Amino acid sequence: MPPRGKGGARERPALSREFIAQHKQRRIMDALAELTAEQGYEATKISDIVKRAGVARKTLYDNFEGKEEVFLAAFDSARDEVLGRVAEGSAGEDGDWQERIEGGLAALLGYVAEQPILARMCMVEALSATPATTKRYEDAMETFVELTKRTLPKDARLPDTIAETLVGGAAWIVYQQIRRGDAERAEDLLPELTEFITAPYLGAGRAK
Amino acid sequence: MKPLPRGRHGLSREYIAEHQRERLLAAIAGSLEDNGYDRTTVSAVSSLAGVSKSDFYRHFASKDECFFAAYDEAVEGLRGDVLAACREESEWAEGVCSGLAAALNRLAAEPAQANLLLVEGLRAGPGVYGRFQGAVESFVPRLRDGAPVGTSAGRPPGAADEAVVGGIASLLGRRVLAGEAARLDRFFPELAEFALTPYLGVAEARRIISAR
Repeated sequence: MPPRGKGGARERPALSREFIAQHKQRRIMDALAELTAEQGYEATKISDIVKRAGVARKTLYDNFEGKEEVFLAAFDSARDEVLGRVAEGSAGEDGDWQERIEGGLAALLGYVAEQPILARMCMVEALSATPATTKRYEDAMETFVELTKRTLPKDARLPDTIAETLVGGAAWIVYQQIRRGDAERAEDLLPELTEFITAPYLGAGRAK
Repeated sequence: MKPLPRGRHGLSREYIAEHQRERLLAAIAGSLEDNGYDRTTVSAVSSLAGVSKSDFYRHFASKDECFFAAYDEAVEGLRGDVLAACREESEWAEGVCSGLAAALNRLAAEPAQANLLLVEGLRAGPGVYGRFQGAVESFVPRLRDGAPVGTSAGRPPGAADEAVVGGIASLLGRRVLAGEAARLDRFFPELAEFALTPYLGVAEARRIISAR
């Protein structure tokens, strides 16, 4: 965008236009997440989304190809937020691996409790909305499996699939909690999930 | 499956009807495995089963109804195998191992059913996802009942039974997606260890599995 006129105010229109566009995209994504949590993906129509978001239908189509792309954009944004928090929570260079697992889980459960609607969209609705959303879910699971592998101690005697089964099991428990409508109390799961993930490694460690 | 011979075959109407239904259920599983949910149509399923479209509609009102029936039947078959295997064991850990082995053997022998149960169950929309969830949950009591509540390894974590069943389902689904359905039985030792460890500790779990 070429600068218009002189002085400090010249950047303002461009900035605010971008800000407004982003803000509208966010509103559209949030509206879809809310509606999906309330009535499911299938029943959610474009007309519902634009009404809830308070934008024109044209605005939605200027920013997204359609409903599925809104879902995928909302999913990606939530996933990046969760991954960032979990990576941060499990970073602790000084902490031992058990504390890092607990830190990562605490970050994940904290997000679910704080953002129950987005959590539901990513961990429940994504599984059954469309093949593309299922693929996104599977890819995100893969990322969490890799992150878990990097955090757990190397133990050649444990099965190769242990990180996959542990992450799959933990995801199932969180999924059930959300399905029951208890996402806000997800943090209650922290002690048992930490124990579930660390137990096989502790046992193997003791056996050395 | 070959189509039934036409003309006078002397088979009762009930026999033919049941036979057609079974063929349609097998056909939809095969079509889902080869073509996915969206490209699985009533025409494709009917033609694969060797029945006419109007015969299809005599058995099922829609593709989804046929799909649900195939899903429910596959769950029942799997559950039947698992329960029968568990019943032959008196020890809890042996029952878990035998039930798991029975499930893996059945899924490996029937890749189309494995795909139906573990992959299409997640992909084909909320109606089937509820069935997937119910099927997974129905195995939780099989693991929980009779499980040791405290051993030298300590008490099992509170969520262990659900997490173990969910974790196994998750792994199997991923492996079916990766095209490994026919080889699911080779995961027996690691999955048995995963299932027993929260209750018995890893050393005891390994002792039991290696003694089988």
